Amino acid sequence: MKKIRAVMVGQPNVGKSSIINALTNARLHVGNFAGVTVEKKEVTLTYKEYDIDIVDLPGIYSLNAYTPEEQVSKNYLLDESYDVIINVVDANVLQRNLILTLQLLDMNPKMILVINMIDEVEKQGGMIDAVKLSELIGRPVVLASAKERRGVEDIIEMLIDEFERPDRQRKIYYDERIEEEIERLSEILLKSPKFISADMARFFVVRLLEKDPDIYKIVHDLPIFLELHEELGKSIHRLKLGFDEESAADIIANERNAIAKSLVMQCMQAPKKASLTDKIDKILIHPIFGLPIFLFFMWGLFQLTFEIGSLPVDYLDATFTNFANWLKQILPPGDINAIITDGIVPAVGSVIMFLPNILILFLGINLLEQTGYMARAAFLLDGFLKKFGLQGKAFIPLVSGFGCTVPAYMAARTLKNPKDRLITMLVLGFMNCSARLPVYVLLIAAFFPTTNAGNVLFAIYISGAILGLIVAKILRIVLFKGEPEPFVMEMPPYRFPSLKALGMELWLKAKLFLKKAGTFIAGAAMIIWFLSNFPHNPQLIKQYEQKIAQAQTKEQKVALENELAAKNLEYSFIGRIGKMIEPVFAPLGFDWRLSVATISGLAAKEVVVSTLATLYAVGDADEKSSTLIERLRQNIDFKTAIALIVIIMIYSPCVAAMSTFYAEVPRWAWRAFYTIYPNVLAWLLAYSVYNILALLGY
Amino acid sequence: MKLSQMHIGQSGIIRKVRANEPIKGRLFAMGITKGNRITLLDHTLKKETFEVDVEGTRVALRKEEADAIEVEDEKD
Repeated sequence: MKKIRAVMVGQPNVGKSSIINALTNARLHVGNFAGVTVEKKEVTLTYKEYDIDIVDLPGIYSLNAYTPEEQVSKNYLLDESYDVIINVVDANVLQRNLILTLQLLDMNPKMILVINMIDEVEKQGGMIDAVKLSELIGRPVVLASAKERRGVEDIIEMLIDEFERPDRQRKIYYDERIEEEIERLSEILLKSPKFISADMARFFVVRLLEKDPDIYKIVHDLPIFLELHEELGKSIHRLKLGFDEESAADIIANERNAIAKSLVMQCMQAPKKASLTDKIDKILIHPIFGLPIFLFFMWGLFQLTFEIGSLPVDYLDATFTNFANWLKQILPPGDINAIITDGIVPAVGSVIMFLPNILILFLGINLLEQTGYMARAAFLLDGFLKKFGLQGKAFIPLVSGFGCTVPAYMAARTLKNPKDRLITMLVLGFMNCSARLPVYVLLIAAFFPTTNAGNVLFAIYISGAILGLIVAKILRIVLFKGEPEPFVMEMPPYRFPSLKALGMELWLKAKLFLKKAGTFIAGAAMIIWFLSNFPHNPQLIKQYEQKIAQAQTKEQKVALENELAAKNLEYSFIGRIGKMIEPVFAPLGFDWRLSVATISGLAAKEVVVSTLATLYAVGDADEKSSTLIERLRQNIDFKTAIALIVIIMIYSPCVAAMSTFYAEVPRWAWRAFYTIYPNVLAWLLAYSVYNILALLGY
Repeated sequence: MKLSQMHIGQSGIIRKVRANEPIKGRLFAMGITKGNRITLLDHTLKKETFEVDVEGTRVALRKEEADAIEVEDEKD
């Protein structure tokens, strides 16, 4: 068996992942690149007598890395060892994609060029001459369409061919004047024993002419550096004079652009202009109607989330209650029975009930992303976000924050400027994640008329977003003075979302959620249950048992039983903890149970619901138990419920999100700030809201 | 003429990109380079953000960047 290590490189949105997914018999591993939290996809497959390993690098527009993710790709290309590069390009925008291809060819590597989405070009009457292009660039070219599974096997065949081919021909040269300078400088570099191949030296020289800081750092420590530096200066000066340009980087960029243009001219018959995207854009990013349409979409999404998502809630709720009662009867009585039927089942059930809501919200966000609308929303909101010291691109992590804060923190990496990134990450927590949805749905169902439920939910999400913007503005004024980063973003064409990919995403999300409910949330519920049932106070129990035995009527008995349960709970560990923290939350109208539930939300936001379910169920000795919603209505008043919503909106996200933030932001001062300020802000705002509502007479 | 002065639907050939690195490199990577054909597709109400088409790629950019791109009018 021979081993081939290949690396897949391409600009963003060229469909690298879909090619990886289309490879048959490939085993996919998802991990991280060393030292950073950038996702690393790696596939291994066996073909004929070859073991092939393909690493998929994050999308990179050019070797002048701009974002931290692009830097990861660049470092990998420069530092790691691999046999063949698989360069994937989008047939629709071949010319632009070829710029990166030309940069890669500067290394004269073993490489194959995969032209993806060829079906889209051909459908519109265009075509690409792969044989000719292959001759011109001196590398194999594969026309492929991951969507139609076309050319996917050829990629592997060509990869092996290229791996086995002994010679690598350089076919692409720049203008003579540039080549002269390259040769002169290469000779100096080759004096250093570090450079054994002329190809490597040439690549370094081109990067140096383009003022690549990473390459500069490498040659800086070489003994030949002084000589090189002097000659480099002269070369750049000659080039600038000769071409009448501002910098050598400009000259090379123009050269590459001209070469790419001529390659496309010789090999591609352009399709008749696709106008679908134009037509849709005319409406969706209309100067006047664009924003209202966007707001309508978001409003619709939250309406659907609540309306459709709540259809099965009552049914699921009843099912879990019945299931718990049924288990109670068939299991032998005792602590085990109680921990399962009073602790775990209702807690897990109270969370699983919200799976439909969460799936709809995720589906919506995924649709925005896959259709290409997300980029339009960023375009529409850029001017607005700029006023708050953010930029349009920050919209993408912010909206992902509605799904889950963890990937949203990672998505903030598309922001290059560290200040912009930090501000965005500091306010991301105010974008309500889907784990908080169950808490809101529960409280809305308990305290608002159903006709308004969707609107209330929308209002909660909007106020979170507005609060985030205000805080961003304050941070920008107080802590991060200076202009936000410039905004330059590709607007991908509209694409019909792949139903298969959507289905896969949803299934994955559902699986993860159920797993979380079954393990983490069940575990947390078990702990809460244990803490709320132990220790017993035998004296108290004896005292009440006597009273109950002496009670005359049934009502008295029930009242006494409830009293005992409540007293037991207060005596338990959790009762004591709750009493300890109660003073902190008392000004918000929280009793100790709400206080405990709030704190438990730091583990995961869904746990707030399961904790409420456990704590309010324990005080309820009535066997034909009412639902959690009714119990909340009996125990909490309206203004307290609102204060709770405000707290949940603002205070620290779950531990998973917090640890992601810590991983992404290495500075201790910011970590400390991030850990403290949302909680202080949450308390202050909840306190104000509570008191204003009290003044208004609620 | 500056890109920011064009009207919607107008196209021309890029003559100069005045931006500084690293934003210049990013504009190049998107295809906003001397000699390429650019069309203004849309802008927001206050002309804060612009959408252009360069050789088949749609790019969104801000007024600051649009001011830095010099375009030669093309009569079509």
